Amino acid sequence: MTELLQNLIDGLGRGSIYALLALGVAVIFGVMHLLNFAHGELITVSGYVAFWTISEGWSWYFVTPVIIGTAIVTSLVIERVAFSRVRGSSDFTLLLTSFGVHFVVSAIFLLYVSASVKTFSEPGWVADTFPVGSLNVEVYDAVVIGVTLITLLATSWLIQRTMFGLALRAAAADFDTARLMGVRSDTVIRGAFALSGLLAGIAGVFWLMRSGHTTPSVGITPMLKGVLAALIGGLGSLRGAVLGGFVLGLAEVLLRSRLPDSVASLTEGFVFLLIALLFIFRPQGLIRVAHAERV
Amino acid sequence: MAESTGRSTAHAGMFPDLRRDVAFPIVGVGLLFGAFIAVGLLYQSFFSGAAERLVTVAMIDAIIVLGIQIYVGNTGVLSFGHIGFGAIAGYTFAVFAIAPAEKVKRIPDAPLGLTDVDMGSWGAVGVAIAVTVVVAFFVGIGLARSGAESGAVAATVITLALLFVTHEVARHWPELTGGERAGLSFRIGGKLDTRVPIFLALAGSLVLARLFAQSRRGRLAKAGREDDLAARAMGVNPMVQQMIALLISVVVVSVGASLRVYETGSILPENFFFNYTLLTLAMLIVGGRNSVTGALFGVAVMTVGRELARRLGQDGFEVFGLGLDSAPLDWIFRENLQTVFFGTAMLGFMIWRPKGLLSDWEFDEWLHRRFTRAQSAPAVPKTAMGSHQEARLEVSDVSVVFGGFQALSQSGFEVSSGEVVGIIGPNGAGKTTMLNVITGLVPATSGQVRLNGTDLIGTPSHEVARAGLVRTFQNLRLFGSLTVRENVEVTRLVAIAEHDDRSTPETDVLVAAAGLWDHRDRRASELDYGNSRRLELARAAAARPLFLLLDEPTSGMSDTESLAMVGQVQTMAALVSAGVVVIDHDLDFIIGICDRIYCLDRGSVIASGTPEGIQADPSVQAAYLGSSAS
Repeated sequence: MTELLQNLIDGLGRGSIYALLALGVAVIFGVMHLLNFAHGELITVSGYVAFWTISEGWSWYFVTPVIIGTAIVTSLVIERVAFSRVRGSSDFTLLLTSFGVHFVVSAIFLLYVSASVKTFSEPGWVADTFPVGSLNVEVYDAVVIGVTLITLLATSWLIQRTMFGLALRAAAADFDTARLMGVRSDTVIRGAFALSGLLAGIAGVFWLMRSGHTTPSVGITPMLKGVLAALIGGLGSLRGAVLGGFVLGLAEVLLRSRLPDSVASLTEGFVFLLIALLFIFRPQGLIRVAHAERV
Repeated sequence: MAESTGRSTAHAGMFPDLRRDVAFPIVGVGLLFGAFIAVGLLYQSFFSGAAERLVTVAMIDAIIVLGIQIYVGNTGVLSFGHIGFGAIAGYTFAVFAIAPAEKVKRIPDAPLGLTDVDMGSWGAVGVAIAVTVVVAFFVGIGLARSGAESGAVAATVITLALLFVTHEVARHWPELTGGERAGLSFRIGGKLDTRVPIFLALAGSLVLARLFAQSRRGRLAKAGREDDLAARAMGVNPMVQQMIALLISVVVVSVGASLRVYETGSILPENFFFNYTLLTLAMLIVGGRNSVTGALFGVAVMTVGRELARRLGQDGFEVFGLGLDSAPLDWIFRENLQTVFFGTAMLGFMIWRPKGLLSDWEFDEWLHRRFTRAQSAPAVPKTAMGSHQEARLEVSDVSVVFGGFQALSQSGFEVSSGEVVGIIGPNGAGKTTMLNVITGLVPATSGQVRLNGTDLIGTPSHEVARAGLVRTFQNLRLFGSLTVRENVEVTRLVAIAEHDDRSTPETDVLVAAAGLWDHRDRRASELDYGNSRRLELARAAAARPLFLLLDEPTSGMSDTESLAMVGQVQTMAALVSAGVVVIDHDLDFIIGICDRIYCLDRGSVIASGTPEGIQADPSVQAAYLGSSAS
């Protein structure tokens, strides 16, 4: 029982980060039907900013807002330079464009910085724990879960209660009609990229705090988790993306602790197997999104 | 009539037209192969040493790229996973091909006693193919199911996850794979002593890729690539075609991956991961993913580009006395220039030329057009070509609710073969929804659709089409990058498989009957509005349906054109002896063509009867004039 609760907390912590990443992926998928394989690059760029600022002696308290700002700006720049040029293209073109962006961004760091791992110090409290009953809760997990909850509530307010949120939802339901109704496509798309950058920035802070290093390809894993979680939840559904993130996080932690030691290192493979089974039996993901295709 | 039946029988096989689909592709592919090899050998004789390896590597890359092309090109589903399949094949090959004496050093405790297995290279390739095909089969089920439900994007994510997971497993299962750093290696530092296997594999991949694209299955797959929904409405099940394309493509990729491992002399997880995925996809995209010629061309272009980038990245080079020093370019040209080159090429092509250099151009198709004498249009018979079949479609009490909106309530109509029945009504009356319910695109809340007594509610779209109800689309959903002939031919292939009597009219007859003979080799996307409508009609008729369901066949046409459409619909329906249900706004057209008319308003049938009766009906006038003219 204790072990299960412990796993639950670990899983929620991990799932929180995935949920933030998946939500960022889903927001952009909603407005431009782009599944953004370059989402992880926001973390790559943030990683180098963390490396440079921390090696200058900055404290994590100052680095955090800088990372989040960097992620937002990077997201907007990528939209401007690449994605704005392929708006309305086929899925195929959109997917490969984001794949291309992934490589160009990581290649920039490969060329101008180096291929080697750059490390920086994590904040001192990351490994601290505090007891709750018979459990040992990591401060890090508590912070991650708390901040994620606040972020999700704020995002939910933004999407449900503001004009921008209304435009975003209208665009996600039917982009062309939304435009005809006076939603400005540029504004809503840039807003979506800014929001996606913000969410990735927060997730990035947590990711980098824990890992304490960056490389040109550091963004691949978070990108994959975010995209997979969005898919598990049901592509196009914002709620589904968040749910998918938590489900993926919990599944990973539970599998890792339950699998025998000899195969524990293959957790990723087993998680994939579960996802494959999910798609065979429930191909639409956890939350079904109505597809309105005019015929 | 007997002659045309005899010709049709030959067409019912795997290839619609043996001259065009087998003979020309083999000749064309032979010439391409020769050119590719000739360029390679020529290059090799100018630059000795490393040049030889470069040419070998390019040939192996070409095999893998062609394998990916078979799936990506024909189905239109982007796959990142083929290099993952390559990793599975590569490791399987290595484990089965490396001599036990060597394996003991790296993987002494391989599971299932694989350390002691010694199969030799040929046997190992066979095992690699078998293992990869089995894995691909299961991945393919997930791909097809999620793709059908959430679109090709979902399928692409699954392929990406596959790539990632094979990499993770390869890194973390050192007992089998030798782990992340050591990997598996052959003792003799990986030189193929002969290039014959590579030549054979490359030629075989080219032939297979071209023949598949021209085969019945390949053509059905391409219909799904162009428009999934329209393909279903014509009786094609894209899921099946995608699975077949996947399995064939994986066989080619497995052979390529085995050769790659053998040539390198070792395998590491990194060899079959992101960078190689980027490289192969960039080659495919740059050349033109829909075309085998394009794929091969892309390999050649990108190999040259990669070599230039590599040399610039090192120390500059000299070509024919023309020296190029890279020192002034040091600020950008560093050792990782190749990745930058491939990433930028992919991004640039996606933005400026997403269909690649050659787009849909295929060398042997060009040859075929050059060496085929111009034919004159075939005569269009005035009577049905097949045996007449009695059929009856009864739609009764159909209701559809979208959210809170009642699109149809308790509506229905009946039609028998030989009849032309019209459905009219103002915008939003539920006419198109009616067709969508019949063809299985929109689920009905209640009601029945009976074809000869069998209820079709709940039947998937492609099975409705096969049962004999085939539609056209109001907003035109042609197979855009296929030619006019190919559009008609694809549905005809479905009809031939479905009807044993072989009496479906020839493609050329249908094209001529639609008045599209002069446009037969143009791509459907290049047609003007009127011709697109006529092609929609011919494509639906080619399925040899019991009933043709026409959704606004004259919308956007001039008055003269729509009057001509009356004759075209009648000719086409007579040719395949189909009944007709037609929806339209154009009252002159409807009255000119229909035996009976139903009038829908706000989801209900408000009147039905002969054209004269409907014209005189006050409730119809009220619905059309929008006032209660009583």
